[in-house]
Amino acid sequence: MMTSAPSGTHNFKVVLLGEGCVGKTSLLLRYIEDKFNDKHLTTLQATFLNKKLNINGKRINLSIWDTAGQEKFHALGPIYYRNSNGAILVYDITDEDSFVKVKNWVKELKKMLGSDIVLIIAGNKIDLEHERTVPLEEAESYSTMVGAKHYYTSAKLNQGVEELFLDLTREMVDRFEQNSQADVSRTSRVLVVDDETPVQTSCCSGNRST
Amino acid sequence: MEGAYDEIISDNPFFRDLKNEYTNLFQHCITQSWIICVPRVGILNTRVFTVEDFCAHILVPSDELPETHYSTLTEKQVTVTNKVITLEVTKGLPLQSHILFEETFYTEDFIKYKVWCIESALEPSTTTSDNVVTKDCLLSINDCIDLLWTQAAGRHVLDQIEQNVQIFLKKHSCLPIAISTLREAISELYTLCLQTTLQNRRLREKSKASKHILDNIKLAVESYMQHLLFESLFKTICTSCAYEDSHLNKKIRNMSDIQLRDLDIKKELYHAVPKAKQILSKIDTYSSVLEKILCLKQALNAINKNDNSYNVVLLTADDLLPVFVFLLIKSGLPNWYSQLTYMKEFRFSCVGKGDSDESAFLITTLEAVIEHIQSGALAGPPDPESHYYYDSNLTEENLQSNTQRRSSLTESISTSETNSREETLEYVFELIKANHTEQVQAILEKNQKHLKSIQQNEKSILKFALEESLNNNNDDDDDDDDDSTESEIYQKLCHPLCNCKKCWCKISKNLLKTSPTVTSRDSHGLTPLHVACIHGKAAIVEILLDMGADVNATDLNESIPLHYAASRGHQNALLLLLHSGADINKPNIDKNTPLHLAVNNGHMNCVKALIYFAEHSRKRIIVNCTNESGNTPLHLAAKWGYEGIARLLIENGAEPSRLNKHNKTAFDCAHNLKILQVLKSCTPNLYEYIHITSSDIKTLSCKSDNLEYLKLEKLSVKNSDYVNNPTKTIENLKRIERILQAISYGDVKLACFYLNINYDTFNENTNTVKESLCHPLCECQYCKRKSQSHVSDFDINFSDTNGFTALHYAARFGLEELCKILIHNKADVNCTNRKGQTPLHLAAIYNKTKVISLLLDNGANINAIDVAGNTPLHNASDMGNIGATKELIKYNPDISLLNASERSALDVAKKKVHLTIIDLIEKYSSKL
Repeated sequence: MMTSAPSGTHNFKVVLLGEGCVGKTSLLLRYIEDKFNDKHLTTLQATFLNKKLNINGKRINLSIWDTAGQEKFHALGPIYYRNSNGAILVYDITDEDSFVKVKNWVKELKKMLGSDIVLIIAGNKIDLEHERTVPLEEAESYSTMVGAKHYYTSAKLNQGVEELFLDLTREMVDRFEQNSQADVSRTSRVLVVDDETPVQTSCCSGNRST
Repeated sequence: MEGAYDEIISDNPFFRDLKNEYTNLFQHCITQSWIICVPRVGILNTRVFTVEDFCAHILVPSDELPETHYSTLTEKQVTVTNKVITLEVTKGLPLQSHILFEETFYTEDFIKYKVWCIESALEPSTTTSDNVVTKDCLLSINDCIDLLWTQAAGRHVLDQIEQNVQIFLKKHSCLPIAISTLREAISELYTLCLQTTLQNRRLREKSKASKHILDNIKLAVESYMQHLLFESLFKTICTSCAYEDSHLNKKIRNMSDIQLRDLDIKKELYHAVPKAKQILSKIDTYSSVLEKILCLKQALNAINKNDNSYNVVLLTADDLLPVFVFLLIKSGLPNWYSQLTYMKEFRFSCVGKGDSDESAFLITTLEAVIEHIQSGALAGPPDPESHYYYDSNLTEENLQSNTQRRSSLTESISTSETNSREETLEYVFELIKANHTEQVQAILEKNQKHLKSIQQNEKSILKFALEESLNNNNDDDDDDDDDSTESEIYQKLCHPLCNCKKCWCKISKNLLKTSPTVTSRDSHGLTPLHVACIHGKAAIVEILLDMGADVNATDLNESIPLHYAASRGHQNALLLLLHSGADINKPNIDKNTPLHLAVNNGHMNCVKALIYFAEHSRKRIIVNCTNESGNTPLHLAAKWGYEGIARLLIENGAEPSRLNKHNKTAFDCAHNLKILQVLKSCTPNLYEYIHITSSDIKTLSCKSDNLEYLKLEKLSVKNSDYVNNPTKTIENLKRIERILQAISYGDVKLACFYLNINYDTFNENTNTVKESLCHPLCECQYCKRKSQSHVSDFDINFSDTNGFTALHYAARFGLEELCKILIHNKADVNCTNRKGQTPLHLAAIYNKTKVISLLLDNGANINAIDVAGNTPLHNASDMGNIGATKELIKYNPDISLLNASERSALDVAKKKVHLTIIDLIEKYSSKL
């Protein structure tokens, strides 16, 4: 699952989940190709894309898996999202149903993967702000409640996309390092103290200076 | 993709120097978001880089076309297309360099800049080192062999891997069937192979120098090992996945006529499907996981390819899945689940890279597709016998549209009373599909009456016309008005409102064309009976048959309704058709009989129904008939891995050694050891009995020296009515077969059930045996009997043709409990089989001590002799069964008895040197 090659490269798997037509694929293409509904795409498939990142000397290899949004493929979800380090749950701010779907996904992911997975909820199509039907406060309070970050994005106007992926990646790195630290401390200290709870460092305060 | 080039940019000397020595330039690049190109490590010879070197590798996007056109800081024009950088040079050919990968860097302040790792330097003058350029990607097993050969400069590494594999195969002559243990064993072998490979000095050094080479070596070793192992490894995987595969095959076979439009596939992708299908169906020709994954990738790329009009089709997951579902269904491969398991479980070289790379994605896609087919989310009916098939077909998604359709249907039903023109054949088919029994009946009956009255009228008209023609020879009436249109008909009438018989007939004839009857057909030649069978509406089938529908009507594919009932697995409809005299061996246009279709689609219930009906009605079903490609039903059962069906077919006389048109036997078609075992182990034992007719029995009884004759005679004395009633004899023979089989499995309850003995009364249990029929409507003998009263019509001492009774078998398998039950039910403890053996003989041979004492306590003859003159004690001594001998001796056997070879039990034991037994018998004789 979370693996790091000897060279220190992190391999992370990220799944994009959400109902059909909320713009999952557009978000992905905007991030990888920086294009929207463009005729001149170099990749012709948007189901699996790779991105190499280097944040402060930490190499991260993101594998981003797009999933089918149609309801008839819903049952295939677990096959796609198992072993993933992060999930981006996309909804359309003009479509209340798509937000309900996101809630369902969150429930399912929490049940299947526990808290190992980093969740990001993305309200897409903010270029259509005037048609908004999903209340801003509701979406944000829900996200905080389930421990997910909330982002507003527009693949069309290129808003929030880069930030979303960058933040997700940083959080996955933090989570990974925390876990491996916790592993180390658990194995080394298990004989000395057994009731010490692992220190909860806040999500994005990973030491940037190193 | 596996084997794609990768390196740590920050360790690259070129990049390091730029960052550390030319900080200002570097910072400027970052703030301007210029792209930094870094030649891959080891490609540049020079140790010291100049500022010109760096400037030549920094790309500034042009203002007009920032995506494709750049200029370097040395003022050279650069274009980028398809991941290739082209540098215009004044003299000679333009310089090209591949972008190996792009890495996005973020500084501490989260300022982004891009670095491209490129294949060669962007300077024409730079002397590039002649470092052997290794293949970046391994694309076939040949690439793997090539890599190991060239990098190690010789084939000794390959030889060593081969040797390891040979030793492994010798050690594991029979590979473990469980996937996890199999995986462990192979994984161990892989580690061993990799170790021996890296003992090679050249390879070790090269892999130390570059992680990329190490990864490729790992992959090559793995692939070569899999290539060598493939034959035995894949067969084993197929065997362990036999169950899943056969279920998947059943699902796939039943969807085999699915079309692209049924799956909501984008029209733009249609053109690519044939090519992709061609690629994907070759997946079973590849032996290594690497190649299989590449095959998936190629299929994916084929789907992605532009069509001739260069319309870019962006492939999303929503588009991809249905196309792959379609490809899988149409590929005709019988072992997709095994293929998936192989790819999923036997990729060792990727360990450490995580399972998130593109290969993992492709495998996951395949898994998702298989899961989707398995889940039955596609149109296939979950339960063919369900009355609510029409409803159960609906998914939540199209529920709404369907309720609309339904309501419109009921609407039109209500209007149909007034407007008979609405009652087209399509409408009737729609009604049949929706199982509106009454409406179908009403419409068809009405039309039939109508038709009859017309026919009567025609006759009278004919008479009338005849009279007329006698009066005046003026004959202007042709019969070609059949194909005239409505308006023409009205023109032909004496008067638009004329009501004379002649005119009325003309109008009626026209009406008839649109009013469907039980015999009318649509453009595919389908009659209502065909449609009812397709949808498995047994009730409607019954009505149609009552109304005189032609049970052997053929459509354009020369299929009769029985074909459809068999291929869709509708057992009720099938039985109704068979009872109405459908031709059980009718071939359709592909020479497939109903049995072929039922087998192909894995409908065990229909195969059973066809065979049992044939037995019961003594019609001959040709079990070994061939279709257009020379396949017998057994070929199909073997190919798709239907074990139960294969067993049933062989028991009913199917011959596995028949050749099809590709010169393949059923053995060759079998993809796993399980089905092969079924083919080999099953013997057509039931076959003889099924086809015994009364005449057969007569000829049998003529041969007086035949042992079978003796047996039959014995039977006839015992149950004289059986000979008079050959059907009953056959039935009982079949039944004893089942009983004996149940006993041989050790299933006492089942045996009792077949014997009509209430097991639970012996078990002191108040629960009654739950009896269930094959199916509520099933009419097989077995069910008929069950639904009848429980009076035992079966003689407990009935034997099979070898003279074995139930008690023989119970003794043979040491089922003490069953022996008790049988004896309680007055089974003869001294009955003999054809070899003259009593149950006690068998218990002695198989050393069933408890049964021996039970039999002897219940009056079994301890000195019974078989045909060879052996007593049970002879048998026990011969087999060296100490327990049995001890037990027998307790009951005072006569040890002086000699067998046919003039030997006593003691002699037999001595001959075989069973010392304990000699001792036992001698002690016993001394006591006497």
